[in-house]
Amino acid sequence: MNRRVMLVGSPNCGKTLLFNRLTGLKQKVANFPGITIELAHGPMPAIPGVTLTDYPGSYSLRALSADETVAVEQFHAGLDSPDVSHVVCVIDVTRMEKSLYLTLQVIRHARRKGKHVIVVANMMDVLDAHNVELDLEGLAGELDAEMIPLSARTGQGMADLLACLREDPPRQPPEPAPEIEINPDLLIQQQAHRLAGKYGPRGDMLVRSQNRMDAFFLHSWFGGLAFFAIMYLLFQSIFTGAAPIMDVVEGGLGTVAGWLVPLIGPGLVADFTSDAIFSGVGAFLVFVPQIFMLTLIVGLLEDSGYMARAALICHRPLRFFGLTGKSFIPMLSGVACAIPGVYAARAIDSPRRRRLTYMAIPLMPCSARLPVYALLIAAFIPQTTAMAGLVGMQGLAMFALYFFGLLAGLVVAGIASRRDAKSDSDVPFILEMPAYRMPALMPLIQKSAHRCMHFITKAGGVILSVTVVVWILGYFPNGGADLGSSWLAGIGRVIEPVFAPMGLDWRYGVAILTSFLAREVFVGTLGTIFGIEFAEQNMVPLVERIHASGMELASGFALLVFFSVALMCVSTMVILARESGSWKLPAKMFAVYGVAGYVGAIIVYQGISFLSA
Amino acid sequence: MDTVPLWTLNKGQRAAIRGFSDVLPDSYRQRLTEMGFHGGEIVTCLLRPAFGAPRVYRVSNTVYSLDEDVAANVMMQPLEAGA
Repeated sequence: MNRRVMLVGSPNCGKTLLFNRLTGLKQKVANFPGITIELAHGPMPAIPGVTLTDYPGSYSLRALSADETVAVEQFHAGLDSPDVSHVVCVIDVTRMEKSLYLTLQVIRHARRKGKHVIVVANMMDVLDAHNVELDLEGLAGELDAEMIPLSARTGQGMADLLACLREDPPRQPPEPAPEIEINPDLLIQQQAHRLAGKYGPRGDMLVRSQNRMDAFFLHSWFGGLAFFAIMYLLFQSIFTGAAPIMDVVEGGLGTVAGWLVPLIGPGLVADFTSDAIFSGVGAFLVFVPQIFMLTLIVGLLEDSGYMARAALICHRPLRFFGLTGKSFIPMLSGVACAIPGVYAARAIDSPRRRRLTYMAIPLMPCSARLPVYALLIAAFIPQTTAMAGLVGMQGLAMFALYFFGLLAGLVVAGIASRRDAKSDSDVPFILEMPAYRMPALMPLIQKSAHRCMHFITKAGGVILSVTVVVWILGYFPNGGADLGSSWLAGIGRVIEPVFAPMGLDWRYGVAILTSFLAREVFVGTLGTIFGIEFAEQNMVPLVERIHASGMELASGFALLVFFSVALMCVSTMVILARESGSWKLPAKMFAVYGVAGYVGAIIVYQGISFLSA
Repeated sequence: MDTVPLWTLNKGQRAAIRGFSDVLPDSYRQRLTEMGFHGGEIVTCLLRPAFGAPRVYRVSNTVYSLDEDVAANVMMQPLEAGA
């Protein structure tokens, strides 16, 4: 018979890392509180027929927000389910105080439903590293529950936990609730406090190194400088770190195209393979290594514990724009992809600040914008360096674009916040500062590779479909002999007046139009159009074709502004509608950001053209 | 002895929690208590970053950062150095 195991615990106790170990799945893990925001289910390969359910971390079963209410209701529904055999409650043994209150509540509620509870004492590796020993048997005795010392990070103790979970315990009769219970939460709170004092680690040994690092990273001046240095290195490395892999991908695609296309022989199929597959889809694939690098570095920051410090550093400046320090994590997540950023905003307690954060996230320079930025930077910014090679001009331009996106998000939130001016008192800031940890590199590399594959499969399908349509329209009716008299050119010339004030011709207009499905489609469409136009040149980099098309510098900057501001992602709009509870917000954002991006692009083009005239 | 708000503690200063001011919403009192801010618990101010940024406090073996809206409403009794 199939059965279920519930996995619960306080925020940042290592619960999701344990879930990933037990299921082999790749749920998002990071070293700051509030990462798990909805239930995750996964079969346990080591115990066939058993499914593990990961619940969002909570400090107690008394919900304070709407999201917590949902999580607590789901917990109680799980306890009522007859197929649940065990409740695994994870505690962080290095920080017992915050874990034991929830643990005692879970034990109480689980017993009343006749469920078997296992308490997992996680983070044993940290205790071992500091030679700290705790009387966990004594604690287990007082809790009257089975306890497994374990490290989800190293895998120590996993065999013991699996052995416990393999047994399907006989269902216990539900423990009756006492007829009169005076303030049970207060009693539990007092008990948790007493147990943490009696069995928890003593002294400040476990937080001493954390305090030393915080003294630097949160220092009034050095902390700010370190923050900017880390952010700058993040964006600089997107270019410098990814460049060798991009060269390999580009060279590999060129080699395969040079071998495959002549093999097919002249004709329609060869033209399609060369123009649509290699020039269209291939142009997009070249930028995937940059997405890998971005995800990897954001992952390193999350895993190290630095993100919570960054949230603290940003809190005061973000409050000026109506946001909170907790908005920083969703906004930086939005740099990889707006969708996880929107989900991460659930950790913001104030509904108003959360809504403002939703408005800022789509303006963060997400990885879908990256191929467009990288292409236009490579086309218009020289590959020179300054300061003994430390500062690359292209990397600097990328940093400036990311900074522009961030600033645009802040300005929008600031304006919206002042229009909807209410008391600022609804943003009390309480944030647990996690311990610094050495990031585990291999899981992060796997996660980044997984993210790239997800990106390729998600965007690749759309890009391939659009590329095929664009190629057919551009290739016919004259067999690719003259792009200017193709069906695509006919459509393009109808919309050309819209983009003419940005100095763009119909080819770029078509590419922008298709990119409303997803921004990265722009690169694929442009690759296909130029693939047909310059059919005699095999696998010439798209950058060179942009130069050959006669595009001006002013148009390049105008395009960058348009792509930085306009909301061109159907998936983000769907998720925004779901999370905000209506289509009103995403529809408004689509219209306002679209118009602002368009007007901004025209101003930039006309301004640069005027100055350079 | 007089109580002072947590927000006013100097870096390195220790104090015992005496209670919460009435203006602090119940929900935040509850969350703070769950996090370990019990009456009588010793809190150490670890960092006071400049420009009014949230301050960093240690309670038991856990470190939290609190902004003024919260920390100004947690009432503390300062401890003598070495106490």
